[in-house]
Amino acid sequence: MPNFPQVALHHYLLVGAIMFVLGLIGFMTRRNLIIIFLCTELMLQGVAITLIAFGAYHGNMGGQVFTIFVLTIAAAEASLALGLIVLLYRARHNVDASAWRKLKG
Amino acid sequence: MPSGTDLSSPFVAPGLTVALCVLAAVGTMLALPGRTKTQSLRIAGGGMMALALVATMMLMIAGAGRAIGSVHYVYFWIFSVVAIVCSARVITHRQPVYSALYFVMTVFASAGLFVLMWAEFLAAALVIIYAGAILVTYTFVIMLAAESSGSGLVSRLAGGRAPVPEHDAVSREPIVASLTGFGVLGALIFVIFDRAKAIQPYGYVTKSPAVEQSGSIRDLATYLFSHQIVSMQIAGLILTLAMVGAIMIARKRVLLSDDEAEVIIADELTAPNTPVDDNPHSISVQGEAGPRSRKLQNEIASLD
Repeated sequence: MPNFPQVALHHYLLVGAIMFVLGLIGFMTRRNLIIIFLCTELMLQGVAITLIAFGAYHGNMGGQVFTIFVLTIAAAEASLALGLIVLLYRARHNVDASAWRKLKG
Repeated sequence: MPSGTDLSSPFVAPGLTVALCVLAAVGTMLALPGRTKTQSLRIAGGGMMALALVATMMLMIAGAGRAIGSVHYVYFWIFSVVAIVCSARVITHRQPVYSALYFVMTVFASAGLFVLMWAEFLAAALVIIYAGAILVTYTFVIMLAAESSGSGLVSRLAGGRAPVPEHDAVSREPIVASLTGFGVLGALIFVIFDRAKAIQPYGYVTKSPAVEQSGSIRDLATYLFSHQIVSMQIAGLILTLAMVGAIMIARKRVLLSDDEAEVIIADELTAPNTPVDDNPHSISVQGEAGPRSRKLQNEIASLD
Protein backbone atom coordinates (compact mmCIF):
# COMPACT_ATOMS: atom_id res chain seq x y z
CA MET A 1 0.00 0.00 0.00
CA PRO A 2 1.77 3.18 -1.14
CA ASN A 3 1.85 6.25 1.06
CA PHE A 4 -0.94 8.62 0.16
CA PRO A 5 -0.78 12.32 0.95
CA GLN A 6 -3.28 13.71 3.38
CA VAL A 7 -6.31 15.57 2.10
CA ALA A 8 -5.98 19.23 3.01
CA LEU A 9 -8.53 21.98 3.46
CA HIS A 10 -7.93 23.60 0.11
CA HIS A 11 -8.86 20.42 -1.73
CA TYR A 12 -12.38 20.53 -0.35
CA LEU A 13 -12.64 24.28 -0.83
CA LEU A 14 -11.70 23.92 -4.46
CA VAL A 15 -14.35 21.27 -5.06
CA GLY A 16 -16.95 23.43 -3.35
CA ALA A 17 -15.93 26.47 -5.39
CA ILE A 18 -16.10 24.58 -8.69
CA MET A 19 -19.56 23.22 -7.90
CA PHE A 20 -20.74 26.67 -6.87
CA VAL A 21 -19.46 28.26 -10.07
CA LEU A 22 -20.99 25.55 -12.26
CA GLY A 23 -24.32 26.15 -10.56
CA LEU A 24 -23.89 29.88 -11.11
CA ILE A 25 -23.25 29.42 -14.81
CA GLY A 26 -26.23 27.11 -15.18
CA PHE A 27 -28.44 29.57 -13.30
CA MET A 28 -27.53 32.43 -15.58
CA THR A 29 -27.72 30.42 -18.75
CA ARG A 30 -30.65 28.08 -18.83
CA ARG A 31 -34.15 29.13 -19.78
CA ASN A 32 -36.17 26.36 -18.23
CA LEU A 33 -37.48 27.60 -14.87
CA ILE A 34 -37.11 24.20 -13.27
CA ILE A 35 -33.46 23.93 -14.32
CA ILE A 36 -32.80 27.44 -12.99
CA PHE A 37 -33.97 26.38 -9.55
CA LEU A 38 -32.05 23.12 -9.82
CA CYS A 39 -28.87 25.13 -10.38
CA THR A 40 -29.70 27.13 -7.27
CA GLU A 41 -29.69 23.85 -5.37
CA LEU A 42 -26.35 23.01 -6.97
CA MET A 43 -24.93 26.27 -5.65
CA LEU A 44 -26.16 25.35 -2.20
CA GLN A 45 -24.38 21.99 -2.50
CA GLY A 46 -21.09 23.73 -3.18
CA VAL A 47 -21.62 25.98 -0.18
CA ALA A 48 -22.42 22.97 2.00
CA ILE A 49 -19.16 21.25 1.10
CA THR A 50 -17.23 24.42 1.95
CA LEU A 51 -19.04 24.82 5.27
CA ILE A 52 -18.39 21.27 6.41
CA ALA A 53 -14.74 21.47 5.36
CA PHE A 54 -14.23 24.57 7.46
CA GLY A 55 -16.10 23.02 10.37
CA ALA A 56 -13.88 19.96 10.30
CA TYR A 57 -10.78 22.11 9.92
CA HIS A 58 -11.60 24.20 12.98
CA GLY A 59 -12.57 21.13 14.95
CA ASN A 60 -16.04 22.15 16.04
CA MET A 61 -19.50 21.34 14.84
CA GLY A 62 -20.49 24.80 13.67
CA GLY A 63 -20.04 23.92 10.03
CA GLN A 64 -22.28 20.89 10.22
CA VAL A 65 -24.95 22.77 12.15
CA PHE A 66 -24.94 25.57 9.61
CA THR A 67 -25.28 22.97 6.87
CA ILE A 68 -28.33 21.50 8.58
CA PHE A 69 -29.93 24.89 8.45
CA VAL A 70 -28.89 25.38 4.83
CA LEU A 71 -30.57 22.07 4.01
CA THR A 72 -33.71 23.16 5.84
CA ILE A 73 -33.92 26.46 4.01
CA ALA A 74 -33.16 24.74 0.70
CA ALA A 75 -36.08 22.40 1.24
CA ALA A 76 -38.42 25.27 2.11
CA GLU A 77 -37.23 27.29 -0.85
CA ALA A 78 -37.58 24.35 -3.22
CA SER A 79 -41.17 23.74 -2.20
CA LEU A 80 -42.13 27.38 -2.64
CA ALA A 81 -40.25 27.68 -5.93
CA LEU A 82 -41.92 24.60 -7.37
CA GLY A 83 -45.32 25.89 -6.28
CA LEU A 84 -44.61 29.13 -8.09
CA ILE A 85 -43.43 27.23 -11.18
CA VAL A 86 -46.65 25.22 -11.26
CA LEU A 87 -48.63 28.45 -11.03
CA LEU A 88 -46.62 30.12 -13.76
CA TYR A 89 -46.99 27.06 -15.97
CA ARG A 90 -50.74 27.23 -15.56
CA ALA A 91 -50.76 30.82 -16.74
CA ARG A 92 -48.69 30.46 -19.90
CA HIS A 93 -48.48 26.71 -20.47
CA ASN A 94 -44.75 26.59 -20.81
CA VAL A 95 -41.88 26.76 -18.37
CA ASP A 96 -39.81 29.14 -20.46
CA ALA A 97 -38.32 32.03 -18.50
CA SER A 98 -38.58 34.28 -21.55
CA ALA A 99 -42.37 33.86 -21.60
CA TRP A 100 -42.34 36.38 -18.77
CA ARG A 101 -40.11 38.86 -20.53
CA LYS A 102 -42.78 41.52 -20.31
CA LEU A 103 -42.18 41.73 -16.57
CA LYS A 104 -38.79 43.27 -17.32
CA GLY A 105 -38.80 46.94 -16.49
CA MET B 1 -5.49 19.94 14.22
CA PRO B 2 -2.75 19.73 11.61
CA SER B 3 -0.57 16.71 11.88
CA GLY B 4 3.11 17.41 11.36
CA THR B 5 4.66 20.63 10.26
CA ASP B 6 4.83 20.89 6.51
CA LEU B 7 6.19 23.91 4.79
CA SER B 8 5.74 22.92 1.16
CA SER B 9 3.81 25.46 -0.80
CA PRO B 10 0.44 24.40 -2.22
CA PHE B 11 0.35 27.40 -4.40
CA VAL B 12 -0.41 26.89 -8.09
CA ALA B 13 1.18 29.51 -10.35
CA PRO B 14 -1.36 32.25 -11.18
CA GLY B 15 -0.68 32.12 -14.91
CA LEU B 16 -1.50 28.45 -14.91
CA THR B 17 -4.69 29.11 -12.96
CA VAL B 18 -5.81 31.71 -15.50
CA ALA B 19 -5.00 29.39 -18.39
CA LEU B 20 -6.99 26.53 -16.88
CA CYS B 21 -9.93 28.82 -16.12
CA VAL B 22 -9.92 30.12 -19.69
CA LEU B 23 -9.79 26.59 -21.04
CA ALA B 24 -12.68 25.52 -18.86
CA ALA B 25 -14.65 28.66 -19.75
CA VAL B 26 -14.26 28.03 -23.48
CA GLY B 27 -15.23 24.41 -22.94
CA THR B 28 -18.33 25.43 -20.99
CA MET B 29 -19.32 27.93 -23.67
CA LEU B 30 -19.13 25.21 -26.27
CA ALA B 31 -20.82 22.58 -24.16
CA LEU B 32 -23.88 24.59 -23.15
CA PRO B 33 -26.89 23.87 -25.36
CA GLY B 34 -27.20 26.24 -28.28
CA ARG B 35 -29.11 26.83 -31.47
CA THR B 36 -26.32 26.22 -33.96
CA LYS B 37 -24.26 23.76 -32.04
CA THR B 38 -23.77 20.32 -33.43
CA GLN B 39 -23.35 17.38 -31.15
CA SER B 40 -19.63 17.06 -31.88
CA LEU B 41 -19.04 20.69 -30.92
CA ARG B 42 -20.71 20.11 -27.57
CA ILE B 43 -18.67 16.96 -27.02
CA ALA B 44 -15.52 18.94 -27.84
CA GLY B 45 -16.55 21.52 -25.24
CA GLY B 46 -17.08 18.77 -22.71
CA GLY B 47 -13.66 17.39 -23.56
CA MET B 48 -12.04 20.75 -22.89
CA MET B 49 -13.74 21.00 -19.51
CA ALA B 50 -12.56 17.50 -18.68
CA LEU B 51 -9.04 18.40 -19.76
CA ALA B 52 -9.03 21.43 -17.48
CA LEU B 53 -10.26 19.27 -14.62
CA VAL B 54 -7.59 16.62 -15.20
CA ALA B 55 -4.88 19.28 -15.43
CA THR B 56 -6.05 20.76 -12.13
CA MET B 57 -6.00 17.31 -10.57
CA MET B 58 -2.45 16.66 -11.78
CA LEU B 59 -1.24 19.99 -10.45
CA MET B 60 -2.76 19.40 -7.06
CA ILE B 61 -1.43 15.85 -6.80
CA ALA B 62 2.01 17.10 -7.77
CA GLY B 63 1.90 19.89 -5.22
CA ALA B 64 0.65 17.74 -2.36
CA GLY B 65 2.15 18.10 1.06
CA ARG B 66 4.48 15.67 2.75
CA ALA B 67 2.17 14.52 5.53
CA ILE B 68 1.16 10.90 5.19
CA GLY B 69 -2.51 10.28 4.99
CA SER B 70 -4.66 7.26 4.40
CA VAL B 71 -6.60 5.89 1.50
CA HIS B 72 -9.05 8.78 2.06
CA TYR B 73 -7.03 10.53 -0.61
CA VAL B 74 -8.11 8.14 -3.35
CA TYR B 75 -11.73 8.28 -2.21
CA PHE B 76 -11.56 12.06 -2.16
CA TRP B 77 -10.52 12.18 -5.80
CA ILE B 78 -13.14 9.64 -6.87
CA PHE B 79 -15.97 11.48 -5.16
CA SER B 80 -14.82 14.92 -6.28
CA VAL B 81 -14.40 13.99 -9.93
CA VAL B 82 -17.81 12.30 -9.98
CA ALA B 83 -19.40 15.33 -8.31
CA ILE B 84 -17.83 17.85 -10.67
CA VAL B 85 -18.48 15.88 -13.85
CA CYS B 86 -22.09 15.24 -12.88
CA SER B 87 -22.70 18.87 -11.97
CA ALA B 88 -21.27 19.89 -15.34
CA ARG B 89 -23.74 17.49 -16.95
CA VAL B 90 -26.56 19.01 -14.91
CA ILE B 91 -26.04 22.38 -16.51
CA THR B 92 -25.30 21.19 -20.04
CA HIS B 93 -27.87 18.50 -20.68
CA ARG B 94 -30.80 19.46 -22.88
CA GLN B 95 -33.49 17.44 -21.22
CA PRO B 96 -34.60 18.46 -17.72
CA VAL B 97 -35.18 14.92 -16.48
CA TYR B 98 -31.56 14.03 -17.15
CA SER B 99 -30.46 17.18 -15.35
CA ALA B 100 -32.42 16.10 -12.29
CA LEU B 101 -30.95 12.58 -12.43
CA TYR B 102 -27.41 13.87 -12.79
CA PHE B 103 -28.10 16.09 -9.81
CA VAL B 104 -29.05 13.00 -7.80
CA MET B 105 -25.64 11.57 -8.71
CA THR B 106 -23.99 14.82 -7.62
CA VAL B 107 -25.78 14.60 -4.28
CA PHE B 108 -24.53 11.05 -3.76
CA ALA B 109 -20.94 12.07 -4.52
CA SER B 110 -21.32 15.04 -2.22
CA ALA B 111 -22.58 12.75 0.53
CA GLY B 112 -19.44 10.66 0.01
CA LEU B 113 -17.33 13.77 0.52
CA PHE B 114 -19.23 14.50 3.71
CA VAL B 115 -18.48 11.02 5.04
CA LEU B 116 -14.77 11.65 4.38
CA MET B 117 -15.02 14.75 6.56
CA TRP B 118 -16.60 12.81 9.43
CA ALA B 119 -20.06 14.25 8.90
CA GLU B 120 -21.93 10.97 8.60
CA PHE B 121 -25.26 12.25 9.85
CA LEU B 122 -25.21 15.01 7.29
CA ALA B 123 -24.33 12.59 4.53
CA ALA B 124 -27.37 10.49 5.39
CA ALA B 125 -29.54 13.59 5.81
CA LEU B 126 -28.39 14.87 2.43
CA VAL B 127 -29.30 11.65 0.69
CA ILE B 128 -32.66 11.38 2.42
CA ILE B 129 -33.72 15.00 2.10
CA TYR B 130 -32.13 16.09 -1.14
CA ALA B 131 -32.11 12.96 -3.27
CA GLY B 132 -35.11 11.43 -1.61
CA ALA B 133 -37.48 14.33 -1.22
CA ILE B 134 -36.46 17.49 -3.02
CA LEU B 135 -35.34 15.87 -6.25
CA VAL B 136 -38.33 13.55 -6.35
CA THR B 137 -40.49 16.66 -6.09
CA TYR B 138 -38.52 18.24 -8.90
CA THR B 139 -39.05 15.18 -11.08
CA PHE B 140 -42.77 15.29 -10.39
CA VAL B 141 -42.94 18.95 -11.36
CA ILE B 142 -40.95 18.25 -14.53
CA MET B 143 -43.49 15.60 -15.38
CA LEU B 144 -46.45 17.85 -14.58
CA ALA B 145 -45.09 20.87 -16.41
CA ALA B 146 -43.98 18.97 -19.49
CA GLU B 147 -44.84 20.77 -22.62
CA SER B 148 -46.82 18.52 -24.92
CA SER B 149 -47.50 21.00 -27.68
CA GLY B 150 -44.00 20.77 -29.12
CA SER B 151 -44.07 24.31 -30.44
CA GLY B 152 -40.93 26.24 -31.26
CA LEU B 153 -39.00 23.22 -32.36
CA VAL B 154 -35.39 24.13 -32.88
CA SER B 155 -33.12 21.16 -32.93
CA ARG B 156 -33.41 17.47 -33.29
CA LEU B 157 -30.74 15.39 -31.68
CA ALA B 158 -28.66 13.17 -33.92
CA GLY B 159 -30.10 9.71 -34.38
CA GLY B 160 -33.69 10.86 -34.55
CA ARG B 161 -34.45 11.06 -30.87
CA ALA B 162 -37.35 13.05 -29.47
CA PRO B 163 -37.45 16.72 -30.41
CA VAL B 164 -36.45 19.14 -27.70
CA PRO B 165 -38.47 22.32 -27.04
CA GLU B 166 -36.72 25.56 -27.76
CA HIS B 167 -36.33 26.75 -24.23
CA ASP B 168 -34.30 23.67 -23.37
CA ALA B 169 -32.27 23.59 -26.52
CA VAL B 170 -31.05 27.18 -26.42
CA SER B 171 -29.18 28.85 -23.59
CA ARG B 172 -29.12 32.56 -22.89
CA GLU B 173 -25.80 34.36 -23.07
CA PRO B 174 -23.45 31.40 -22.64
CA ILE B 175 -20.37 33.52 -23.32
CA VAL B 176 -21.00 36.20 -20.73
CA ALA B 177 -22.17 33.64 -18.19
CA SER B 178 -19.11 31.41 -18.64
CA LEU B 179 -16.70 34.32 -18.43
CA THR B 180 -18.39 35.68 -15.31
CA GLY B 181 -18.52 32.29 -13.69
CA PHE B 182 -14.94 31.39 -14.39
CA GLY B 183 -13.82 34.87 -13.43
CA VAL B 184 -15.41 34.25 -10.03
CA LEU B 185 -13.74 30.84 -9.93
CA GLY B 186 -10.36 32.34 -10.74
CA ALA B 187 -10.73 34.82 -7.90
CA LEU B 188 -11.85 32.05 -5.53
CA ILE B 189 -8.95 29.79 -6.55
CA PHE B 190 -6.49 32.60 -6.00
CA VAL B 191 -7.87 33.32 -2.54
CA ILE B 192 -7.99 29.62 -1.59
CA PHE B 193 -4.42 28.93 -2.61
CA ASP B 194 -3.12 32.20 -1.26
CA ARG B 195 -4.67 31.52 2.13
CA ALA B 196 -3.54 27.91 1.94
CA LYS B 197 0.01 29.10 1.45
CA ALA B 198 -0.31 31.42 4.42
CA ILE B 199 -1.54 28.70 6.78
CA GLN B 200 1.64 27.24 8.21
CA PRO B 201 1.62 24.38 8.77
CA TYR B 202 -0.89 23.10 6.23
CA GLY B 203 -4.57 23.19 6.94
CA TYR B 204 -5.57 19.61 7.33
CA VAL B 205 -9.09 18.39 7.78
CA THR B 206 -8.97 15.94 10.65
CA LYS B 207 -11.22 14.50 13.30
CA SER B 208 -11.88 16.78 16.24
CA PRO B 209 -11.16 15.42 19.75
CA ALA B 210 -14.84 15.44 20.72
CA VAL B 211 -15.60 13.30 17.70
CA GLU B 212 -12.81 10.92 18.69
CA GLN B 213 -14.34 10.46 22.10
CA SER B 214 -18.06 10.27 21.62
CA GLY B 215 -18.82 10.06 17.92
CA SER B 216 -19.89 12.76 15.57
CA ILE B 217 -23.66 12.45 15.91
CA ARG B 218 -23.52 12.93 19.65
CA ASP B 219 -21.21 15.88 19.25
CA LEU B 220 -23.46 17.42 16.63
CA ALA B 221 -26.56 16.95 18.75
CA THR B 222 -24.85 18.42 21.81
CA TYR B 223 -23.75 21.47 19.85
CA LEU B 224 -27.12 21.90 18.17
CA PHE B 225 -29.20 21.65 21.30
CA SER B 226 -26.93 23.70 23.52
CA HIS B 227 -25.91 26.52 21.21
CA GLN B 228 -28.44 26.73 18.43
CA ILE B 229 -31.76 25.97 20.04
CA VAL B 230 -33.43 29.20 18.95
CA SER B 231 -32.30 28.71 15.35
CA MET B 232 -33.80 25.24 15.44
CA GLN B 233 -37.17 26.56 16.51
CA ILE B 234 -37.04 29.20 13.81
CA ALA B 235 -36.10 26.58 11.22
CA GLY B 236 -39.15 24.55 12.17
CA LEU B 237 -41.27 27.66 11.88
CA ILE B 238 -39.86 28.39 8.43
CA LEU B 239 -40.65 24.88 7.28
CA THR B 240 -44.24 25.26 8.44
CA LEU B 241 -44.52 28.61 6.70
CA ALA B 242 -43.12 27.16 3.49
CA MET B 243 -45.54 24.27 3.58
CA VAL B 244 -48.55 26.50 4.11
CA GLY B 245 -47.29 28.94 1.51
CA ALA B 246 -46.75 26.28 -1.12
CA ILE B 247 -50.26 24.92 -0.62
CA MET B 248 -51.73 28.41 -0.82
CA ILE B 249 -49.80 29.31 -3.94
CA ALA B 250 -50.57 26.30 -6.04
CA ARG B 251 -54.15 25.75 -4.92
CA LYS B 252 -56.94 25.29 -7.42
CA ARG B 253 -60.60 25.62 -6.63
CA VAL B 254 -62.89 23.29 -8.53
CA LEU B 255 -66.56 24.25 -8.94
CA LEU B 256 -69.32 21.99 -10.13
CA SER B 257 -72.29 23.53 -11.87
CA ASP B 258 -75.74 22.04 -11.34
CA ASP B 259 -76.88 20.97 -14.79
CA GLU B 260 -74.22 18.88 -16.38
CA ALA B 261 -71.80 18.43 -13.46
CA GLU B 262 -69.34 20.39 -15.52
CA VAL B 263 -66.09 21.10 -13.82
CA ILE B 264 -65.13 24.75 -13.79
CA ILE B 265 -61.68 25.49 -12.51
CA ALA B 266 -61.37 28.87 -10.90
CA ASP B 267 -58.13 30.50 -10.03
CA GLU B 268 -58.23 31.45 -6.39
CA LEU B 269 -55.53 34.05 -6.61
CA THR B 270 -57.06 36.26 -9.27
CA ALA B 271 -60.31 36.96 -7.40
CA PRO B 272 -60.11 39.36 -4.48
CA ASN B 273 -61.41 37.91 -1.27
CA THR B 274 -62.72 41.15 0.16
CA PRO B 275 -64.38 43.91 -1.83
CA VAL B 276 -61.68 46.36 -2.68
CA ASP B 277 -62.54 49.75 -1.29
CA ASP B 278 -60.26 52.67 -0.71
CA ASN B 279 -61.80 53.42 2.66
CA PRO B 280 -59.61 51.59 5.19
CA HIS B 281 -62.56 51.35 7.60
CA SER B 282 -64.63 49.38 5.13
CA ILE B 283 -62.92 46.13 6.09
CA SER B 284 -63.89 45.23 9.59
CA VAL B 285 -61.11 44.27 11.93
CA GLN B 286 -63.09 41.65 13.75
CA GLY B 287 -64.09 39.78 10.60
CA GLU B 288 -67.59 39.13 9.41
CA ALA B 289 -68.70 35.73 10.49
CA GLY B 290 -67.44 34.72 13.91
CA PRO B 291 -69.69 34.69 16.98
CA ARG B 292 -67.61 37.37 18.61
CA SER B 293 -67.99 39.74 15.69
CA ARG B 294 -71.72 39.11 15.54
CA LYS B 295 -72.00 39.93 19.20
CA LEU B 296 -70.02 43.11 18.64
CA GLN B 297 -72.20 44.12 15.71
CA ASN B 298 -75.31 43.52 17.79
CA GLU B 299 -73.91 45.70 20.53
CA ILE B 300 -73.07 48.46 18.05
CA ALA B 301 -76.53 48.21 16.50
CA SER B 302 -78.17 48.36 19.91
CA LEU B 303 -76.25 51.54 20.75
CA ASP B 304 -77.86 53.51 17.88
